[in-house]
Amino acid sequence: MNRYHAIQKLMSIVDEKVVIVGNLGPTSDEMRHAMHRDKNFYTYGSMGLCSSIALGIALNYSDKVISFDGDGSVLMNMGTLATIGRENPLNLIVLIWDNEMWGQVGRQFSHTHYQTNLEEIAQGCGIKKTITVDNEDDLEKVFVKALSDDGPYVIVAKIKESEYLSVAPVEPEIIAFNFRKSMIQNA
Amino acid sequence: MSDWAQTIADSLKESEISLITGVTDSSLSILINLLREDSYFSVIPASREEEAIGIAVGSYVSGTKSAVYMQSSGVGNSVNALASLCIPARIPIPMIINLRGDIGEFNIAQVLMGKVTPQIFDNLNIPTYILDSDVSLEDKVTGALKLCYASHQPLAIGLTPLLHGGKSSK
Repeated sequence: MNRYHAIQKLMSIVDEKVVIVGNLGPTSDEMRHAMHRDKNFYTYGSMGLCSSIALGIALNYSDKVISFDGDGSVLMNMGTLATIGRENPLNLIVLIWDNEMWGQVGRQFSHTHYQTNLEEIAQGCGIKKTITVDNEDDLEKVFVKALSDDGPYVIVAKIKESEYLSVAPVEPEIIAFNFRKSMIQNA
Repeated sequence: MSDWAQTIADSLKESEISLITGVTDSSLSILINLLREDSYFSVIPASREEEAIGIAVGSYVSGTKSAVYMQSSGVGNSVNALASLCIPARIPIPMIINLRGDIGEFNIAQVLMGKVTPQIFDNLNIPTYILDSDVSLEDKVTGALKLCYASHQPLAIGLTPLLHGGKSSK
């Protein structure tokens, strides 16, 4: 499965109130190229914190919040799966794009290429609705279901790393300002 | 006595900071327990201090002001989140930090991080206010919180044994 293709597909499904938090690097770049919107929260640093930021949003928001995370990032902050399990936010969907490597920084295999199973780790944290998918049709099906179902969900999407798009504008202050403004207007 | 904790809780509420997240500490636990008992506050225990910064950032950008708590040892776990997320995105996060390693400390492992915590914040250009007595405590805390949001950047409030009595080895 190709991440950019799948991101384009999934972003065409979500309505305007749904929040999407993007992991730093290619994932946020691809979100921005696919469909720039005020309720996209891109990250540019703080690797590991994508799903923690999404959790902080989900605890204060009535609509769905999606974290487009990655295997390397989740490996860096697996404790946040435990916090998600403990807090049990019904509106949170963690989608881990798992290329089994640190793709942007040399393509070395990550732990998920070997024994580490992030879906089982999520289960071990008390997150009941989990699935691992390896093709776009299955991903779309579970994603559509998760959008209208109580979560939290953890979806591990196995992807094949491909070429990267151009780097999207790096403007954290503007993104945070516009995102917050759109959230306050929505409240 | 926990007047200091009640004063900080009152200042947080007055500043409309309602989501509190962090990693616990024995001296801070007096404050955390007070917040837990007050339905105004949501207290979210994190697994690591950096994670708490992420949760607090998510809360702030969704329109709910959020503060973080930790002991000074956790500051070392937070630096990249501050430097690569809060500061470039200009997200104000007040941090309530118990400064270990100060007078009366019994554990050598706490000494260095406690001592260098204000230096680390100084290097990050993060303002740090150290509370070592309950004199003008409410003015100091409320004023620091106001400054945090006015300046759109993280800010540290350091608690010391002279304020809360410290942690005994017994």
